[in-house]
Amino acid sequence: MASFEVSGLSKSFATGPAVLHDLSFRFDGAGAVGCLGPNGAGKTTLLKLLVGLLHPSQGHAYLNGIDPMADRKRALWDVGALIETPEPYPTMNVHGALDLVGRARGLASDDVDREIDRCHELLDLPPLGHRIGWLSKGQRQRVSLGAALMGDPAVLLLDEPTSGLDPAERVVVRHLLNGLKRDHLVLMSSHQLVEVTEVCDHLIFLHRGKVLLNDRVDRVAGRIRSRQVDVEFTGSVSPEAMAGLRTVATEVVAVSPRRWRISFDGSDEARVQLLRLCQALGPVVQFTSTTLVLEEAYLELIPPAAGDA
Amino acid sequence: MAEVRTDAPRTTEAATVTRHRVSDFEQWRIATTLQLGHYLRTNRFYGLLGFVTLVSSLTLAFQVAAGIPAIQIEQLYRSSEYLSNNLAYTGLWIILAAAFFGGDALGVDFSTSAGYYMLVLPIRRSVLLAGRYTAATLVTFAIVGVNYALDLAGGVYFFGGSTIPWGLLLESLGIAALFALAALSVAFCVSAFVRSPSAGVLVTVLALYVGFTILQAVLELAGIEPWFSFPYAGTAMASVMDTDFVHQQTIPLGAQQYYTIWVANVSEGIAIMAAYLAVFLPLSIFLYQRQESTG
Repeated sequence: MASFEVSGLSKSFATGPAVLHDLSFRFDGAGAVGCLGPNGAGKTTLLKLLVGLLHPSQGHAYLNGIDPMADRKRALWDVGALIETPEPYPTMNVHGALDLVGRARGLASDDVDREIDRCHELLDLPPLGHRIGWLSKGQRQRVSLGAALMGDPAVLLLDEPTSGLDPAERVVVRHLLNGLKRDHLVLMSSHQLVEVTEVCDHLIFLHRGKVLLNDRVDRVAGRIRSRQVDVEFTGSVSPEAMAGLRTVATEVVAVSPRRWRISFDGSDEARVQLLRLCQALGPVVQFTSTTLVLEEAYLELIPPAAGDA
Repeated sequence: MAEVRTDAPRTTEAATVTRHRVSDFEQWRIATTLQLGHYLRTNRFYGLLGFVTLVSSLTLAFQVAAGIPAIQIEQLYRSSEYLSNNLAYTGLWIILAAAFFGGDALGVDFSTSAGYYMLVLPIRRSVLLAGRYTAATLVTFAIVGVNYALDLAGGVYFFGGSTIPWGLLLESLGIAALFALAALSVAFCVSAFVRSPSAGVLVTVLALYVGFTILQAVLELAGIEPWFSFPYAGTAMASVMDTDFVHQQTIPLGAQQYYTIWVANVSEGIAIMAAYLAVFLPLSIFLYQRQESTG
């Protein structure tokens, strides 16, 4: 069964602080796992450790149950990886770059050609005779993504797979990943929160090398306390009357004369107090916490100062 | 009315593809072909090949202009002497080729993003290294071959084909091959820890040629045989055909001052080259396997 796993994984470099601290998780079967975090959180380092481009300082990484440090060839046999923005030899052409990967993964020459055609169609690759050195960053990224897919490996490790792509290309890749996750195990890092919500079933939030959250996407928002409520009255309420909520609310915004959106500190005490104040203004037909979008959850989890660390 | 979708995702499913286990030998062949193709599309290969061809051709042209009697009588009275003399610079060509093709052969994986493409494939790094080493050896042989071919052409022109000492020439070629393997092992070792491709090339030339040449000159002034020097070992390529071979020659410089020069004999040269190969090739494999993609 397709799987990836890290166990007590830590990484530090000779100069500088530790990049990853004691990470442990395991995923198997099929699906998509998103790895989120601000710059420097350790997302790319995690992927590099998984494929053996870096040596763990402590702990182990396993791909399909095999430690790439112990047996790189077997560990990577059924894995397609896209790390950073790879650059095959600039003197190679697109066909040569994909052909190399197909043959290295044990495809017969007929299958190599069929796989190249499939990737070419899926990712709208540049003409196969074009040299890699002639391609734009986005085109190279698509070629590298195609290389990761050659031979249909069961596990895909993708580091910001839509980096450098234009909006239309990103949509194509998202469609692709949504299809792939049905029968592949995908781990993707991304800064694109929309992308993660659209593609991934599970999230790992990394911050300063630690896992802040490891949960299903649909449960993440629910775990974060909302800082907003929508309140709806049976009739119109004046702005002057609503101003009375300022003792508790940080912001009161009119959605319509009957509906208001109230921001507050998110505490239960403040929420109860706001409900009482609203009921004092008139009959309340609806008082609901707004659903947190992932971006809010992300900002909720990560201290503001760390956002650009 | 049926809904018409224009953004329907294309199928992601691979056609039924069969993947068979690929042996290390097959992957070595793939890596060799890849690297060889790369070298044959680079300017540095054609630049060095052209340069060696030009210098060797000019040498031959000047000799032809001087005339057969001048070459036969004045300095090189036998074909073996002629060949030996002309091969004196083969060591330099080999060191340059080793630096050009080996000095950045491994560092390129860690200084550029090429490693993110190659090192995530299910290929052992030792196999990748072996493929690149083989390809670098082949292009180095191509350059050395031009040098030998033009030298041989001169030998045939001046002395006739029947006088060529084929056995010694083959022996010299064999030593040149060992010298190339040893030079490339040093270059690969440099490349395994010097990440910048240009620095790898430069360090290899400085270490293998400039550094040793200076050191050798200083030691010879002090009367010490440079038995560890890499260029010194390379002189065996020429000395194997030198029928008047002298291992040690003392030249008077003035009153009670002497300068001693040494030329490696065949067995000594081979031993030095083999020692370099035995130390630096395993070391380069070890370093390459330990190297991390931190960029």
